[in-house]
Amino acid sequence: MKEQNSSLMKKNIFNYFKKGVPMLKKNKKVDIENKPSIIRDPVQGRTIIGEKIAIDGAIRGREDLFIEGSVKGRIEVEAHHLTVGPRGQVEAEIQAANVTISGRLVGNINATGRVKITKEADFNGEIKAKSISVEDGAYLKAVIELKREPDKKPVPVAKPEEKSASEPLKEPFTLAGKSSKRN
Amino acid sequence: MTTFASSSDRRRQDSDHRFKTVDYTSNVLQLFMEGLEGRPSAQVLDLGPVCQENIRFLARRVERLYVCDMFIRLERCLGKGDPVDRIWHELDYPPENFDGILIWELADRLDDGEVKALVRLCHTLLKPGGMAVVLVLGEQAASLRVNSFVVGQNFRVGLRSQPHLHLPIRGRQNRDILAMMTPLKPAKSFICRLGFMEFLFTRD
Repeated sequence: MKEQNSSLMKKNIFNYFKKGVPMLKKNKKVDIENKPSIIRDPVQGRTIIGEKIAIDGAIRGREDLFIEGSVKGRIEVEAHHLTVGPRGQVEAEIQAANVTISGRLVGNINATGRVKITKEADFNGEIKAKSISVEDGAYLKAVIELKREPDKKPVPVAKPEEKSASEPLKEPFTLAGKSSKRN
Repeated sequence: MTTFASSSDRRRQDSDHRFKTVDYTSNVLQLFMEGLEGRPSAQVLDLGPVCQENIRFLARRVERLYVCDMFIRLERCLGKGDPVDRIWHELDYPPENFDGILIWELADRLDDGEVKALVRLCHTLLKPGGMAVVLVLGEQAASLRVNSFVVGQNFRVGLRSQPHLHLPIRGRQNRDILAMMTPLKPAKSFICRLGFMEFLFTRD
Protein backbone atom coordinates (compact mmCIF):
# COMPACT_ATOMS: atom_id res chain seq x y z
CA MET A 1 0.00 0.00 0.00
CA LYS A 2 2.84 2.33 0.99
CA GLU A 3 4.69 1.51 -2.24
CA GLN A 4 1.51 2.11 -4.25
CA ASN A 5 1.07 5.54 -2.61
CA SER A 6 4.66 6.44 -3.22
CA SER A 7 4.42 5.49 -6.88
CA LEU A 8 1.19 7.48 -7.25
CA MET A 9 2.84 10.50 -5.63
CA LYS A 10 5.82 10.28 -7.97
CA LYS A 11 3.46 10.10 -10.91
CA ASN A 12 1.55 13.17 -9.70
CA ILE A 13 4.72 15.18 -9.17
CA PHE A 14 5.87 14.22 -12.64
CA ASN A 15 2.56 15.33 -14.14
CA TYR A 16 2.61 18.53 -12.12
CA PHE A 17 5.95 19.60 -13.53
CA LYS A 18 5.11 18.26 -16.95
CA LYS A 19 2.04 20.45 -17.16
CA GLY A 20 3.32 23.33 -15.09
CA VAL A 21 6.25 24.47 -17.21
CA PRO A 22 4.64 26.28 -20.13
CA MET A 23 7.88 27.34 -21.81
CA LEU A 24 8.95 23.74 -22.23
CA LYS A 25 5.80 22.87 -24.19
CA LYS A 26 5.74 25.26 -27.08
CA ASN A 27 2.72 23.94 -28.89
CA LYS A 28 0.63 23.01 -25.91
CA LYS A 29 -1.85 25.45 -24.39
CA VAL A 30 -1.46 25.57 -20.65
CA ASP A 31 -4.15 26.77 -18.28
CA ILE A 32 -1.94 29.13 -16.29
CA GLU A 33 -4.80 30.21 -13.98
CA ASN A 34 -4.86 26.79 -12.38
CA LYS A 35 -1.13 26.34 -12.07
CA PRO A 36 1.17 27.67 -9.34
CA SER A 37 3.24 30.56 -10.65
CA ILE A 38 6.46 29.97 -8.78
CA ILE A 39 7.59 26.44 -9.29
CA ARG A 40 10.74 24.46 -9.14
CA ASP A 41 11.62 22.49 -12.23
CA PRO A 42 13.64 19.58 -10.86
CA VAL A 43 14.49 18.29 -14.31
CA GLN A 44 16.40 21.41 -15.25
CA GLY A 45 17.24 22.34 -11.65
CA ARG A 46 15.77 25.81 -11.85
CA THR A 47 13.06 27.96 -10.37
CA ILE A 48 10.47 29.48 -12.67
CA ILE A 49 8.65 32.70 -11.86
CA GLY A 50 5.50 32.54 -13.93
CA GLU A 51 3.94 35.43 -15.80
CA LYS A 52 1.21 35.98 -13.21
CA ILE A 53 3.75 36.80 -10.51
CA ALA A 54 5.13 40.24 -9.65
CA ILE A 55 7.97 40.52 -7.16
CA ASP A 56 9.23 43.77 -5.69
CA GLY A 57 12.40 43.29 -3.64
CA ALA A 58 15.48 41.13 -3.59
CA ILE A 59 15.86 37.60 -4.87
CA ARG A 60 18.82 35.51 -3.81
CA GLY A 61 19.21 32.00 -5.07
CA ARG A 62 21.49 29.02 -5.40
CA GLU A 63 20.05 27.62 -8.57
CA ASP A 64 19.13 28.79 -12.06
CA LEU A 65 16.23 31.18 -12.32
CA PHE A 66 13.78 31.64 -15.19
CA ILE A 67 11.59 34.74 -15.10
CA GLU A 68 8.40 35.04 -17.12
CA GLY A 69 6.75 37.38 -14.62
CA SER A 70 7.59 40.84 -13.35
CA VAL A 71 10.50 41.49 -11.02
CA LYS A 72 11.70 44.80 -9.61
CA GLY A 73 14.68 45.11 -7.30
CA ARG A 74 17.77 43.00 -7.03
CA ILE A 75 18.57 39.49 -8.28
CA GLU A 76 21.56 37.52 -7.07
CA VAL A 77 22.14 34.02 -8.39
CA GLU A 78 25.88 34.30 -8.34
CA ALA A 79 27.04 30.94 -9.62
CA HIS A 80 23.96 30.30 -11.73
CA HIS A 81 22.09 31.19 -14.87
CA LEU A 82 19.37 33.82 -14.99
CA THR A 83 16.97 33.83 -17.92
CA VAL A 84 14.46 36.56 -18.61
CA GLY A 85 11.93 34.78 -20.82
CA PRO A 86 10.04 36.39 -23.70
CA ARG A 87 7.21 37.48 -21.37
CA GLY A 88 9.50 38.54 -18.53
CA GLN A 89 9.58 42.17 -17.35
CA VAL A 90 12.53 42.92 -15.11
CA GLU A 91 13.85 46.11 -13.58
CA ALA A 92 16.77 45.05 -11.47
CA GLU A 93 20.42 45.00 -10.55
CA ILE A 94 21.62 41.55 -11.50
CA GLN A 95 24.48 39.44 -10.27
CA ALA A 96 24.77 36.05 -11.99
CA ALA A 97 27.19 33.70 -13.69
CA ASN A 98 25.38 33.76 -17.03
CA VAL A 99 22.39 35.76 -18.18
CA THR A 100 20.04 35.21 -21.14
CA ILE A 101 17.62 37.98 -22.05
CA SER A 102 14.64 37.34 -24.29
CA GLY A 103 12.19 39.69 -22.59
CA ARG A 104 12.34 43.23 -21.25
CA LEU A 105 15.13 44.12 -18.87
CA VAL A 106 16.06 47.52 -17.50
CA GLY A 107 19.04 47.50 -15.18
CA ASN A 108 22.64 46.60 -14.78
CA ILE A 109 24.10 43.15 -15.20
CA ASN A 110 27.27 41.95 -13.57
CA ALA A 111 28.03 38.49 -14.92
CA THR A 112 31.09 36.39 -14.28
CA GLY A 113 30.42 34.48 -17.49
CA ARG A 114 28.38 35.15 -20.58
CA VAL A 115 25.48 37.44 -21.37
CA LYS A 116 23.25 36.40 -24.25
CA ILE A 117 20.75 38.81 -25.76
CA THR A 118 18.28 37.28 -28.18
CA LYS A 119 16.42 39.03 -30.97
CA GLU A 120 13.22 39.24 -28.87
CA ALA A 121 15.01 41.16 -26.11
CA ASP A 122 14.46 44.77 -25.10
CA PHE A 123 17.41 45.75 -22.94
CA ASN A 124 18.41 49.07 -21.44
CA GLY A 125 21.31 49.18 -19.03
CA GLU A 126 24.89 48.32 -18.35
CA ILE A 127 26.56 44.98 -18.94
CA LYS A 128 29.77 43.83 -17.32
CA ALA A 129 30.61 40.33 -18.43
CA LYS A 130 33.36 38.06 -19.63
CA SER A 131 31.71 37.61 -23.01
CA ILE A 132 28.58 38.70 -24.79
CA SER A 133 26.45 37.49 -27.66
CA VAL A 134 23.73 39.55 -29.29
CA GLU A 135 21.31 38.48 -32.00
CA ASP A 136 20.46 40.82 -34.86
CA GLY A 137 17.16 42.54 -34.17
CA ALA A 138 17.56 42.94 -30.41
CA TYR A 139 16.24 46.28 -29.12
CA LEU A 140 19.28 47.50 -27.32
CA LYS A 141 20.58 50.49 -25.46
CA ALA A 142 23.57 49.35 -23.51
CA VAL A 143 26.91 50.21 -22.02
CA ILE A 144 29.19 47.23 -22.43
CA GLU A 145 32.36 46.48 -20.54
CA LEU A 146 34.00 43.15 -21.19
CA LYS A 147 36.04 41.95 -18.27
CA ARG A 148 39.69 41.57 -19.08
CA GLU A 149 42.22 39.47 -17.31
CA PRO A 150 44.34 41.51 -14.87
CA ASP A 151 47.13 43.51 -16.57
CA LYS A 152 45.68 42.72 -19.97
CA LYS A 153 45.39 45.84 -22.08
CA PRO A 154 42.86 46.42 -24.84
CA VAL A 155 43.61 44.60 -28.10
CA PRO A 156 45.87 46.81 -30.23
CA VAL A 157 44.90 47.78 -33.73
CA ALA A 158 46.12 45.20 -36.25
CA LYS A 159 46.98 46.68 -39.59
CA PRO A 160 45.71 45.05 -42.77
CA GLU A 161 48.41 42.77 -44.09
CA GLU A 162 47.85 43.12 -47.78
CA LYS A 163 45.74 45.00 -50.22
CA SER A 164 43.21 43.04 -52.19
CA ALA A 165 41.13 43.54 -55.28
CA SER A 166 38.22 44.81 -53.21
CA GLU A 167 40.17 47.68 -51.74
CA PRO A 168 38.76 51.16 -52.10
CA LEU A 169 39.13 52.27 -55.69
CA LYS A 170 40.77 55.58 -54.92
CA GLU A 171 43.19 55.82 -52.06
CA PRO A 172 42.46 58.25 -50.35
CA PHE A 173 41.07 61.41 -51.83
CA THR A 174 41.35 64.52 -49.77
CA LEU A 175 38.23 66.43 -49.02
CA ALA A 176 37.69 70.12 -49.43
CA GLY A 177 37.95 70.50 -45.65
CA LYS A 178 40.76 69.76 -43.28
CA SER A 179 42.73 66.67 -44.12
CA SER A 180 44.95 64.45 -42.03
CA LYS A 181 47.78 62.61 -43.74
CA ARG A 182 48.49 59.01 -42.94
CA ASN A 183 51.97 57.63 -42.58
CA MET B 1 3.76 32.93 -67.69
CA THR B 2 6.91 34.92 -68.18
CA THR B 3 7.36 38.06 -66.18
CA PHE B 4 9.68 40.85 -67.14
CA ALA B 5 11.56 42.97 -64.69
CA SER B 6 11.92 46.64 -65.52
CA SER B 7 15.44 47.93 -66.04
CA SER B 8 15.29 49.75 -62.68
CA ASP B 9 14.19 46.50 -60.97
CA ARG B 10 17.05 44.62 -62.64
CA ARG B 11 19.50 47.33 -61.63
CA ARG B 12 18.26 47.20 -58.03
CA GLN B 13 18.36 43.39 -57.91
CA ASP B 14 21.85 43.43 -59.36
CA SER B 15 22.94 46.06 -56.88
CA ASP B 16 21.37 44.10 -54.00
CA HIS B 17 23.21 40.96 -55.07
CA ARG B 18 26.58 42.65 -55.48
CA PHE B 19 26.11 44.62 -52.29
CA LYS B 20 25.33 41.47 -50.33
CA THR B 21 28.56 39.88 -51.41
CA VAL B 22 30.77 42.92 -50.92
CA ASP B 23 33.74 42.43 -48.68
CA TYR B 24 36.36 45.14 -48.37
CA THR B 25 39.03 46.49 -46.08
CA SER B 26 37.87 49.60 -44.26
CA ASN B 27 40.51 52.30 -44.16
CA VAL B 28 38.25 54.61 -42.20
CA LEU B 29 37.69 52.07 -39.43
CA GLN B 30 41.41 51.49 -39.23
CA LEU B 31 42.03 55.23 -38.88
CA PHE B 32 39.24 55.42 -36.33
CA MET B 33 40.74 52.67 -34.18
CA GLU B 34 44.25 54.08 -34.51
CA GLY B 35 42.90 57.44 -33.37
CA LEU B 36 41.34 55.81 -30.30
CA GLU B 37 44.61 54.17 -29.30
CA GLY B 38 45.99 57.53 -28.28
CA ARG B 39 43.00 58.25 -26.07
CA PRO B 40 43.13 56.52 -22.68
CA SER B 41 39.87 55.05 -21.37
CA ALA B 42 38.21 55.58 -24.74
CA GLN B 43 34.43 55.55 -24.90
CA VAL B 44 32.71 54.79 -28.18
CA LEU B 45 29.06 55.01 -29.21
CA ASP B 46 27.76 52.61 -31.88
CA LEU B 47 24.45 53.69 -33.42
CA GLY B 48 23.74 50.25 -34.87
CA PRO B 49 22.23 48.16 -36.27
CA VAL B 50 23.05 45.83 -33.40
CA CYS B 51 25.74 43.43 -34.53
CA GLN B 52 27.45 40.88 -32.32
CA GLU B 53 30.73 40.90 -34.22
CA ASN B 54 31.04 44.67 -33.99
CA ILE B 55 30.18 44.68 -30.31
CA ARG B 56 32.88 42.11 -29.62
CA PHE B 57 35.38 43.85 -31.88
CA LEU B 58 34.86 47.23 -30.24
CA ALA B 59 34.34 46.10 -26.64
CA ARG B 60 37.72 44.37 -26.68
CA ARG B 61 39.42 47.54 -27.87
CA VAL B 62 37.81 50.34 -25.89
CA GLU B 63 37.20 50.92 -22.20
CA ARG B 64 33.42 51.30 -22.50
CA LEU B 65 31.27 50.62 -25.51
CA TYR B 66 27.87 52.27 -25.75
CA VAL B 67 25.38 50.73 -28.13
CA CYS B 68 22.13 52.47 -28.99
CA ASP B 69 20.52 50.97 -32.09
CA MET B 70 18.98 53.98 -33.81
CA PHE B 71 18.03 51.98 -36.90
CA ILE B 72 15.48 49.87 -35.04
CA ARG B 73 14.24 52.96 -33.21
CA LEU B 74 13.82 54.76 -36.52
CA GLU B 75 11.99 51.75 -37.98
CA ARG B 76 9.54 51.65 -35.06
CA CYS B 77 9.10 55.41 -35.06
CA LEU B 78 8.28 55.51 -38.78
CA GLY B 79 6.04 52.45 -38.39
CA LYS B 80 3.94 54.30 -35.79
CA GLY B 81 3.90 57.47 -37.84
CA ASP B 82 5.65 59.41 -35.05
CA PRO B 83 7.92 62.37 -35.79
CA VAL B 84 11.54 61.26 -36.14
CA ASP B 85 12.62 63.94 -33.62
CA ARG B 86 11.42 61.61 -30.87
CA ILE B 87 14.24 59.15 -31.34
CA TRP B 88 16.91 61.73 -30.50
CA HIS B 89 15.78 61.59 -26.86
CA GLU B 90 17.37 58.15 -26.75
CA LEU B 91 20.78 59.74 -27.20
CA ASP B 92 20.54 61.34 -23.76
CA TYR B 93 24.23 61.03 -22.92
CA PRO B 94 26.29 63.75 -21.22
CA PRO B 95 28.01 66.27 -23.49
CA GLU B 96 31.58 65.48 -24.57
CA ASN B 97 31.21 61.89 -23.45
CA PHE B 98 32.58 60.02 -26.46
CA ASP B 99 35.91 59.68 -28.20
CA GLY B 100 34.21 58.19 -31.21
CA ILE B 101 30.75 57.68 -32.69
CA LEU B 102 29.92 55.12 -35.36
CA ILE B 103 27.04 56.59 -37.33
CA TRP B 104 27.44 54.06 -40.16
CA GLU B 105 24.83 54.73 -42.86
CA LEU B 106 22.18 56.21 -40.56
CA ALA B 107 22.44 59.66 -42.17
CA ASP B 108 21.46 58.15 -45.53
CA ARG B 109 18.19 56.95 -43.95
CA LEU B 110 17.17 60.43 -42.77
CA ASP B 111 16.01 63.56 -44.53
CA ASP B 112 18.21 66.66 -44.60
CA GLY B 113 16.73 68.30 -41.50
CA GLU B 114 16.97 65.08 -39.52
CA VAL B 115 20.60 64.58 -40.56
CA LYS B 116 21.45 68.07 -39.36
CA ALA B 117 19.76 67.37 -36.00
CA LEU B 118 21.72 64.11 -35.69
CA VAL B 119 25.00 65.81 -36.56
CA ARG B 120 24.46 68.64 -34.05
CA LEU B 121 23.73 66.03 -31.40
CA CYS B 122 26.82 63.97 -32.27
CA HIS B 123 28.90 67.15 -32.18
CA THR B 124 27.82 67.86 -28.61
CA LEU B 125 28.38 64.24 -27.56
CA LEU B 126 31.92 64.05 -28.95
CA LYS B 127 34.91 65.13 -26.92
CA PRO B 128 37.18 67.70 -28.60
CA GLY B 129 39.22 65.77 -31.16
CA GLY B 130 36.64 62.97 -31.16
CA MET B 131 35.82 61.15 -34.40
CA ALA B 132 32.70 60.08 -36.25
CA VAL B 133 32.47 57.38 -38.93
CA VAL B 134 29.85 57.92 -41.62
CA LEU B 135 29.06 55.69 -44.59
CA VAL B 136 27.14 56.90 -47.60
CA LEU B 137 25.73 54.23 -49.85
CA GLY B 138 25.40 56.41 -52.93
CA GLU B 139 22.93 55.86 -55.76
CA GLN B 140 24.40 52.58 -56.98
CA ALA B 141 24.30 50.80 -53.66
CA ALA B 142 21.07 52.35 -52.42
CA SER B 143 18.64 49.79 -51.08
CA LEU B 144 15.65 49.90 -48.77
CA ARG B 145 17.05 46.88 -47.07
CA VAL B 146 19.42 47.74 -44.27
CA ASN B 147 22.72 45.93 -43.91
CA SER B 148 24.99 45.88 -40.95
CA PHE B 149 28.66 46.42 -41.74
CA VAL B 150 30.26 43.52 -39.95
CA VAL B 151 33.83 44.21 -38.93
CA GLY B 152 36.19 41.26 -39.06
CA GLN B 153 39.90 40.69 -38.71
CA ASN B 154 42.24 43.30 -40.13
CA PHE B 155 39.29 45.61 -40.75
CA ARG B 156 37.74 43.40 -43.40
CA VAL B 157 34.10 44.40 -43.56
CA GLY B 158 31.32 42.17 -44.82
CA LEU B 159 27.66 43.03 -45.08
CA ARG B 160 24.83 41.21 -43.38
CA SER B 161 21.23 41.87 -44.32
CA GLN B 162 18.88 42.98 -41.55
CA PRO B 163 15.53 41.68 -42.80
CA HIS B 164 13.67 43.27 -39.88
CA LEU B 165 14.72 46.76 -41.00
CA HIS B 166 13.23 48.54 -44.00
CA LEU B 167 14.10 52.20 -44.06
CA PRO B 168 13.94 54.89 -46.72
CA ILE B 169 17.21 55.57 -48.50
CA ARG B 170 18.32 58.94 -49.85
CA GLY B 171 21.26 57.86 -52.04
CA ARG B 172 23.12 61.15 -51.64
CA GLN B 173 26.25 62.38 -53.37
CA ASN B 174 29.29 62.95 -51.17
CA ARG B 175 29.13 66.74 -51.54
CA ASP B 176 25.56 66.70 -50.18
CA ILE B 177 26.66 64.75 -47.14
CA LEU B 178 29.63 67.05 -46.58
CA ALA B 179 27.35 70.05 -46.66
CA MET B 180 25.10 68.54 -43.98
CA MET B 181 27.82 67.42 -41.58
CA THR B 182 28.71 70.89 -40.30
CA PRO B 183 29.95 71.59 -37.59
CA LEU B 184 31.89 68.31 -37.79
CA LYS B 185 35.04 68.64 -39.87
CA PRO B 186 35.82 66.16 -42.65
CA ALA B 187 39.17 64.45 -42.11
CA LYS B 188 39.32 61.59 -44.64
CA SER B 189 37.14 59.87 -47.13
CA PHE B 190 37.42 56.80 -49.33
CA ILE B 191 35.34 55.61 -52.23
CA CYS B 192 34.68 51.89 -52.09
CA ARG B 193 33.33 49.38 -54.53
CA LEU B 194 29.78 49.93 -55.74
CA GLY B 195 30.25 53.60 -55.20
CA PHE B 196 29.62 53.77 -51.49
CA MET B 197 31.81 56.09 -49.47
CA GLU B 198 33.41 56.05 -46.06
CA PHE B 199 33.99 59.31 -44.21
CA LEU B 200 35.87 60.17 -41.07
CA PHE B 201 34.81 63.41 -39.40
CA THR B 202 36.33 65.05 -36.35
CA ARG B 203 35.30 67.57 -33.78
CA ASP B 204 37.68 70.51 -33.28
